[in-house]
Amino acid sequence: MNNYRDYYNYANNNYNQPNYKNTLNANIYDPYQGFIRGNMFPDLYNTYKLNKPVEIMPKNEQAELLTYIDALCFALIDLNLFLDLNPNDENAIRLYNEYRKEKDMYMRAYQDKFGPISLDSANLDGSTWKWIKSPWPWECEY
Amino acid sequence: MWKYEKKLEYPVNIRKKDLKMAKYLMAQYGGPDSELAASLRYLNQRYSMPDDRGKALLTDIANEELAHIEIIAAMISQLTKGASIDELEKAGLGGHYSMHDHGLFPANPNGVPFTSSYIETSGDYIADIESDMAAEQRARATYEHLMDMTDDIDILAPLSFLRQREVVHYQRFKELRNYYLEKKI
Ligand SMILES: [Fe+2]
Repeated sequence: MNNYRDYYNYANNNYNQPNYKNTLNANIYDPYQGFIRGNMFPDLYNTYKLNKPVEIMPKNEQAELLTYIDALCFALIDLNLFLDLNPNDENAIRLYNEYRKEKDMYMRAYQDKFGPISLDSANLDGSTWKWIKSPWPWECEY
Repeated sequence: MWKYEKKLEYPVNIRKKDLKMAKYLMAQYGGPDSELAASLRYLNQRYSMPDDRGKALLTDIANEELAHIEIIAAMISQLTKGASIDELEKAGLGGHYSMHDHGLFPANPNGVPFTSSYIETSGDYIADIESDMAAEQRARATYEHLMDMTDDIDILAPLSFLRQREVVHYQRFKELRNYYLEKKI
């Protein structure tokens, strides 16, 4: 984890905001803004009842780091659907891969500190099987 | 092959018990336009898609719908946590308790169990995609009805996210349908 310090500041217990790059020419939100809307594409976005998107309010550092992962994973999900129908959009492919690398970095940082999210995690090595450690996603204890 | 990640697509953190909303949310857990129906519908239809774009899109949307089942389940689970039998009965969940206790079970809010007849598969890709477009619109409308019935922001936030995903899915299915019609595939 060479880049860990770039992403997490131990001293003031405060994660640096991800530095999203947007190389796509199309109109697109950054991962967090897309995530809280449920839509990466401003042209497709339409609202109901709520006049502004709900900000995620992480309760602690675990939830905060998870929010960055959630936002990047969401950007990948929505770009994936877009790319299925626009498979020759090189800018979208480049953006997908930038977010993918950034997500991998946050996943490693999170799993090193809070335990595995994925069964591919390097963090599963050790004397106890960390996969079973709470909280489970539906328990919202973070 | 599927891989599980120990996180939700969108966080669910409901602080207040609300058994009525738990009951209504079952529309999206075990109803005809539920996330369960959507995921199974696309997973069955993908084998009839005529090219790589369609096979990819139906697989990927089906996959996301599986994550949405988990969000709805998390919401119902948190909304009913610690509910007494009396409270469940008052919210109209006495029948549910008699058969399932506090367990989750895919049925609609009236207790009608999920059935595979909700999974529309015709083997005709245009008919299937157009039924998917309609299903996404019905799911969007259901989310709007659910949002009409609560002012709890802990419930509204995930519902708003899920509603928006139906908007995007509808658009992608429409683009796929138009692509096939224009290309005369
Ligand atoms: Fe959908």
